[in-house]
Amino acid sequence: MSAMALPRFALDPDRRALAGVCAGIARALGADVTLVRLVFAVLALAGGAGILLYLALWAYARARRGWLIVLLAFVSGAFVLGAVGFSGSGIFGIALVVVGLWVALRGGRSLRPDAPVSYWGLGLAAVGVAITVPGGTPTLLAPGAVAAALALVVGPWLWRLVRDRDAERAARVRSEERAEVAARVHDSVLQSLALIQRHAQEPQRVAALARRQERELRGWLYGDIPLGNGAASLGAALSTTAADVEEVHGVRVELASAGDCPVDDGVEAVVLAAREAMTNAAKFAGVDEIDVYAEVTDDAVAVFVRDRGVGFDRASVPAHRRGLVESIEGRLERAGGEATIASVPGEGTEVELRLPRRAQ
Amino acid sequence: MKPRIVLVDDHALFLAGVRAELGDAVDVVGTAGSVADAVPLIKELDPDVVLLDVHLPDGGGDAVINAVVPDRPGVRFLALSVSDAAEDVIGVIRAGARGYVTKTISGEELAQAIERVRSGDAVFSPRLAGFALDAFRAGERVGGDAELNELTPREREVLQLIARGYMYKEIAARLHLSVKTIESHVSNVLRKLQLSTRHQLTRWATQHRLV
Repeated sequence: MSAMALPRFALDPDRRALAGVCAGIARALGADVTLVRLVFAVLALAGGAGILLYLALWAYARARRGWLIVLLAFVSGAFVLGAVGFSGSGIFGIALVVVGLWVALRGGRSLRPDAPVSYWGLGLAAVGVAITVPGGTPTLLAPGAVAAALALVVGPWLWRLVRDRDAERAARVRSEERAEVAARVHDSVLQSLALIQRHAQEPQRVAALARRQERELRGWLYGDIPLGNGAASLGAALSTTAADVEEVHGVRVELASAGDCPVDDGVEAVVLAAREAMTNAAKFAGVDEIDVYAEVTDDAVAVFVRDRGVGFDRASVPAHRRGLVESIEGRLERAGGEATIASVPGEGTEVELRLPRRAQ
Repeated sequence: MKPRIVLVDDHALFLAGVRAELGDAVDVVGTAGSVADAVPLIKELDPDVVLLDVHLPDGGGDAVINAVVPDRPGVRFLALSVSDAAEDVIGVIRAGARGYVTKTISGEELAQAIERVRSGDAVFSPRLAGFALDAFRAGERVGGDAELNELTPREREVLQLIARGYMYKEIAARLHLSVKTIESHVSNVLRKLQLSTRHQLTRWATQHRLV
């Protein structure tokens, strides 16, 4: 990753005092030359580390061999640590940690968090930590090394997890949207087309159905009007829906309710699913009366749609009939609820729609 | 013996329709279209059951019940209507009607309901069951007689199935009980609806100037 790359370092022969190393660093970092030189002077006093580092950078600038600078940097680092009082094993441990982490990152040929990590390098770093910690002296550095090693192991994995989850969520949202559109189109447009086919001999009825469908579809596509109806309460929405189904399919819908609640997205899904259940009953059950009962309690909204019709066997419903799966079960599931369909051939069908209510 | 019934409804078309639907199952001895006409007619004929519209041009169905019951305590009332607000239906029930059915009921079911009311049982349509469940909602506890102010879990279960459109014999089969037991549960609920001091019922009744 470019942001992680070191500033380009090269000798600066124009401003050099010795070989131009300090001037080169100053240019690369945008720092003051004098300050850099001062740092090197101080480091040179620390067991000669500054001198070694200077030589290493010079060698690197000439040969551009990475391992050379690393080796010399280590040696000089060791001198510095020794000068400030670290024990031999402590220095060795820290060196191992640094080498291990470096190898670990190099293993992925990239510093990107999701790049593969060399576990060999991590192992090495861990050994370094193990040597350092019992060494006792560098009590401040050891926890840092452990934290760094942990971050290296867990970090990329966490990052990957988050990215995967985001991608998955996006995919799920897309597929839910598609399912929602499919369910709405099924409930409205496909139903109307089926009715139009059935009433092909009655031009006025066909025109009325088409007009009504056009109005609904326009409302939904451009006006953000719910496809069902814009009623304010569950009871009102169900009663409009029941009247609609009665009008379109010529059945009687007996509506009973206990309690009521305002319409939110979840309740709207229940109403739309109930509409689909009523429509199914009207079309397939072969009855002229459908019972609908809505119950609102503190915990849940429940709607029951029942007919005493022919019933059906779930296994015999062709897979391409999407009504049950998409418009009822899928819709409730997406809203966080559940649909239960109980049907006995010859005795009738009852669809139960249940949606938990969020704490107010 | 066929039950003798009086129909009280201001819609002539509906009166004719009910007569035709009921056919031979009952003996319609009289009809009336207003409170003023219905009260003397019922007192005179002393029928088994009165089918009573919840709304009449000159008052509610409860006005008929209140005027008749002191003189003719044996007459039973079954409220019948298209679609009503909970307080109107509860009002008629608290005045003394033994049940409430909607006008969409089939002739056969209506005949059964009349028979039930005549024998002293209660008749709950899905809608009345919903109203009753609503009125006795948990969480709205009140003081007074707990036996009258709360439904038992079994009564609640029965009402719920009625609301969902199950008939008594279907409920009986589902709950492994006899139809007689279901009838007694429903009668108990009716009694509670009529006698409860539960806040919501009282409020509905007060709105209807019954208390």
